[in-house]
Amino acid sequence: MADDPLSSTFAALADPTRRAILARLAEGEATVSELAEPFAMTLQAISKHLKVLERAGLVVRGKDAQWRPCRLESAPLENASAWIDANRKIWNERLDRLDRHLQQIQRTQRQSGQNRTST
Amino acid sequence: MTNPTDAATELGELTITRVYDAPREMVFRAMIEPEQLTHFWGPTGVHTPLESIVIEPWPGGRFETTMVPDGAPADAGFVMKAVFVEVVEPERIVFKELDGDMTTESTYTDLGDGRTQVVIHQTNMPAMYRTEEAQAGFKTSLDKFAVYLAAKVG
Repeated sequence: MADDPLSSTFAALADPTRRAILARLAEGEATVSELAEPFAMTLQAISKHLKVLERAGLVVRGKDAQWRPCRLESAPLENASAWIDANRKIWNERLDRLDRHLQQIQRTQRQSGQNRTST
Repeated sequence: MTNPTDAATELGELTITRVYDAPREMVFRAMIEPEQLTHFWGPTGVHTPLESIVIEPWPGGRFETTMVPDGAPADAGFVMKAVFVEVVEPERIVFKELDGDMTTESTYTDLGDGRTQVVIHQTNMPAMYRTEEAQAGFKTSLDKFAVYLAAKVG
């Protein structure tokens, strides 16, 4: 597992079954067997996915020994999406500024060209 | 500049395409000359002091910048340390950050009418998760993830 929380979030999300589990939990709590229902998978396989999601802090299991309902914990996901958004914003702003910079140097070049011809 | 497009191609990846009204050589040089980079590298409200920029534009060469929020002391800046993986003038630059493994590729295409298309493609995922299985997962189920996010917000 990754050492930093963001990497473990991305790793946990790198699987369609785990994302589907999260999508189901976004609708509300569910037990392992309820979560397993839409998948052609054993309970053990689902439990394995849940453990990955739990380690990433995306899912919290209830204390009730028999049912242990699963609940979505969205904070790590918000961190991941906030990071992606921030990164995209930085690049977009950087590329906007590059545009202004390129216009500026071309203006300067044109001006010095004009000065040369006029003198 | 026309047609700014921006797409999250895969989870943890970023692709941005821009078209600049400038010749390709000029756009490319802006990306590898510290005297130019200092004018645009920091996003809004952030500057990149010239003395913080190290650019050794060859494979294995250093690429270092410090982004300092306007008004903050220089040592409060965000330091990025990377190495160039590929520098093919005036077509392509690839650098990889030392902390976190993020790889950024930029390609420069001459559109033949004085304009240049720039594509930034960033892979954020640590290499250990860029397995075939993980990649396949990203590709097939982004829609479910979108539904999930929509449900979470609603």
